[in-house]
Amino acid sequence: MQRLGLLLGSIAFLVPLLIRIPGLEPAGHRMLAIFLLAILFWVTEAIPLYATAVLVILLQVLMLSDQALVGGAGALPPAATYFATLANPVIILFLGGFLIADGAHKFGLDRSLAAVMLRPFAGNARLSLLGLMIITALLSMFVSNTATTATMFAVVIPILAALPAGSARTGVALAIPIAANIGGIGTPVGSPPNAIALGALEAAGQGISFIGWMLLAVPLMVVVLLFSWWFLSRRYIAADTPMSLELSADFDRSPAAMIFYLVAGTTVLLWLTEPLHGISSSTVGFLPVVALLATQVMGAEDIKRLQWPVLWLVAGGIALGAGIGKSGLDVWLLGLVAWETLPLTLMMVLLVGVSVGLSTVISHSAAANLLVPLTLSLAVGLPIDPTAVGVMVALACALGMALPISTPPNAIAYATGEVPTSEMIVSGVVIGGFGALLLALVMPTLWGVLGLL
Amino acid sequence: MRLALLILEDERSVREALRRDLAVFAGHVRIEEAEDVPTALEVIAEIDAAGDRLALVMADHRLPGTSGVDFLIDLATDERTLATRKVLVTGQADQSDTIRAINEAELDRYVAKPWQPEALRDMVRDQLTEFVVVAGLDPLPHLAVLDAERALCVVHERGDL
Repeated sequence: MQRLGLLLGSIAFLVPLLIRIPGLEPAGHRMLAIFLLAILFWVTEAIPLYATAVLVILLQVLMLSDQALVGGAGALPPAATYFATLANPVIILFLGGFLIADGAHKFGLDRSLAAVMLRPFAGNARLSLLGLMIITALLSMFVSNTATTATMFAVVIPILAALPAGSARTGVALAIPIAANIGGIGTPVGSPPNAIALGALEAAGQGISFIGWMLLAVPLMVVVLLFSWWFLSRRYIAADTPMSLELSADFDRSPAAMIFYLVAGTTVLLWLTEPLHGISSSTVGFLPVVALLATQVMGAEDIKRLQWPVLWLVAGGIALGAGIGKSGLDVWLLGLVAWETLPLTLMMVLLVGVSVGLSTVISHSAAANLLVPLTLSLAVGLPIDPTAVGVMVALACALGMALPISTPPNAIAYATGEVPTSEMIVSGVVIGGFGALLLALVMPTLWGVLGLL
Repeated sequence: MRLALLILEDERSVREALRRDLAVFAGHVRIEEAEDVPTALEVIAEIDAAGDRLALVMADHRLPGTSGVDFLIDLATDERTLATRKVLVTGQADQSDTIRAINEAELDRYVAKPWQPEALRDMVRDQLTEFVVVAGLDPLPHLAVLDAERALCVVHERGDL
């Protein structure tokens, strides 16, 4: 598969460079070559996802910048514009998000919060499941889906072991990755597809504030979460299942931990109040980076441990989007199909359907990297706000969760041995399908009615 | 790729007792037995040829031919078993053998016969986890036989790729 991907990607890369495509500028040919290579490499994982991302940036510099090896493609942007994607404001926003998330783990804040918040849900098994899902989703809004799932399973494994073997365990083990995936859509820092959409929209002059994203995404998050709870508890948890939630919260009260709580709390507060003070979310995101390093609450080791592969993958996606826009490839893509003849509703269903489908079989971030720039180019010709399209694709990429390979959280749940693949498929298709229909058919109208776009 | 566990023990009854007490691991871990060092080396070659990884050796000291401690010392420099965890399960190693095992074979644990089955299982789980962490393997395929909390800590550092 990997070798095949490498071969196909290389061939696809050469085709637009050797064959003249009518209606496409010389720069567009080069960009098409890079885009086809990115598609094949990201879908087949011929090389690691983050390696493809930096390859995209290098190829753009060598083929589509003022440092291009071969001339004849007209006026090209400086190489620095492509390198700048590695420090795009969205990447800075994520840097802050990652450092806060890592600190929360370092000081045990994630587990203690989970323990405290679970207490009101003790007693009834179905209610406890709701508590677990709400807490998982809330954590996942600020912490990566993978880290949230790992933390929550560490909390839940004793609870799982105390449950009778069989469907109740399956239900609990499924609830966590599902809630983590859904919670990830809630804020810009919740998962990488959100960053990819934000970056692309910002480049198109359609930036969204932190709270603005939440207003768009949280209603969907809440409804899909409640639906998942209803589905999972009816299907897997008998009403009289005994479930104990005896968890001890042990808040770290060391001076370093207190400084961390203060910095993290201030950052989140500033993110939520952007309309009042006007400081952009990226700038706010850099605040904890500086504050935590300056107070030595976090240090060089913590910087090294940040998820740089994820940041660079996002940067590659942003670079890809920028290149498609600058090279004129977007105009050519738009002209390929007479999109305006299709009913808008059908377009939305298609858009969301393709995103959910692709993100079920490949990484959510890679799917967003490919689909966000593509659909934003197409959105120009549609009677719909490009912001809606970008956000929809990012949210749809979070709903692909029907297989163990769909997302790292699913892989963790599968590894516990409590979730048969067939059950993951059933719940993933039902919940993902419900979310997708809601997203395609209801959300754009809702956003319009609420005046959010 | 499966994790493998090798029991090197000349007495059949002891091998059987170990296998019985470690039965919970059998579904996920390849458990192999050898009665002497030449057989153990054959087993290691088989494990390597199958693409599996020898995670843990539980060796007796007193054996016909090469001693268990000498075997463990050789393993410490064998490329195929550099990360392998080494446990001496014995009632007969004298002080100088034990010192050599610790200093030259980088012994990880010493289990005195007779052992407590529950403590033995905890020890094996810890050592398998240590192997996976040190060898940099993905813990998820082996989660059932690992200390879940530590294994999940490794997964925690991965992002949403």
